[in-house]
Amino acid sequence: MSRAIECPREQEVVNAILAGAWPHRCDDALVSHAASCEVCKEVASVSLLLREDVDQSRIEVHVPAAGQVWWRAAVRARLESTQAAARPMTWMHAITGAIVLGVFLSGLTAVWPLLPAGVGTVRDAANRFLPSAEVTSAIAGGLAQSVVVGLVAGAVLIITPLALYVVLSDD
Amino acid sequence: MRDLTLTDMERLGAFDEAERTFQMTEEAFRTFYELTARPVRVYLARMTGDDRLADDLLQETYYRFLRASVAFDGDDHRRNYLFRIATNLVHDHRRKPFMEVPPAAAEEVADTRQHGDLAERSVRRMDLHNALKQLKPRERSLLWLAYAQGWSHEEIAAAIGVKTASLKAMLHRARQRLVHRLGSGGRS
Repeated sequence: MSRAIECPREQEVVNAILAGAWPHRCDDALVSHAASCEVCKEVASVSLLLREDVDQSRIEVHVPAAGQVWWRAAVRARLESTQAAARPMTWMHAITGAIVLGVFLSGLTAVWPLLPAGVGTVRDAANRFLPSAEVTSAIAGGLAQSVVVGLVAGAVLIITPLALYVVLSDD
Repeated sequence: MRDLTLTDMERLGAFDEAERTFQMTEEAFRTFYELTARPVRVYLARMTGDDRLADDLLQETYYRFLRASVAFDGDDHRRNYLFRIATNLVHDHRRKPFMEVPPAAAEEVADTRQHGDLAERSVRRMDLHNALKQLKPRERSLLWLAYAQGWSHEEIAAAIGVKTASLKAMLHRARQRLVHRLGSGGRS
């Protein structure tokens, strides 16, 4: 014969035990029932043991003061909300940096083919005012080098802070 | 946990923030905490077998409770929700296959030298702790919520996320295993 796994009265037994009424201050019929019901007998034995442990533990256990728990929770909530508020800003900074870099590179790409023509224009203008062709071509060559150096320096000035930001950022 | 140093102004700011973020006032929290902290702490200690971990989980339990955006029907619902958080936290920490023997239980070994009722009670508690620690974490939770907290099957099923019919069978098995362990003096 298979054993029952539950009894409709087991909750009553548990309630009586946890209320401290078991067995003398509760319904006699319930006590008699528990004596004859295998499930309730087992439930009563387990519940009595656990209740005894709970009662003793509640006396022994030390819990932090309510104010302390509240304070820690309040501080943590504030830290978390600060971090949560800073998160979109971090994203905005990263996106802005990427846009600036993209604009700079696309501008550079657009301007790059025009550079020789620009240098030629400068050289022609210089030819009109300067007497020697050697001098003007030397100035034009120097100007072309200066433009390249300036562009590289500009790129370094923009990329370095961005790279530092990405490396040092928490997120 | 990270060590924190705050100025008075920051503390005041934190409290203002908390009043807005948390689901109850500090006054209401104090009342609720006084009623529930000890049972929850005992529950956590029995489930984890580690007093230090139980202290940490107690703080975490109340933090999550305070930040929960749940409309509670009453005190019972609020208390059940708190135990549900505690149960989930314990399950998150249950990677350890066996609990350590709690320091309190170790002290009880010495207490058995005492006479009469007190000594018998100490032995019973020690056997109970040993038997509980041989059960699975979920079985410990089930037994505790059912027979130490007096929760109904429906409440436990909702708390641990199983169907009530399944819970009855699980509870029956857990109870039988505990009785068997207790019968063998808590030895495996």
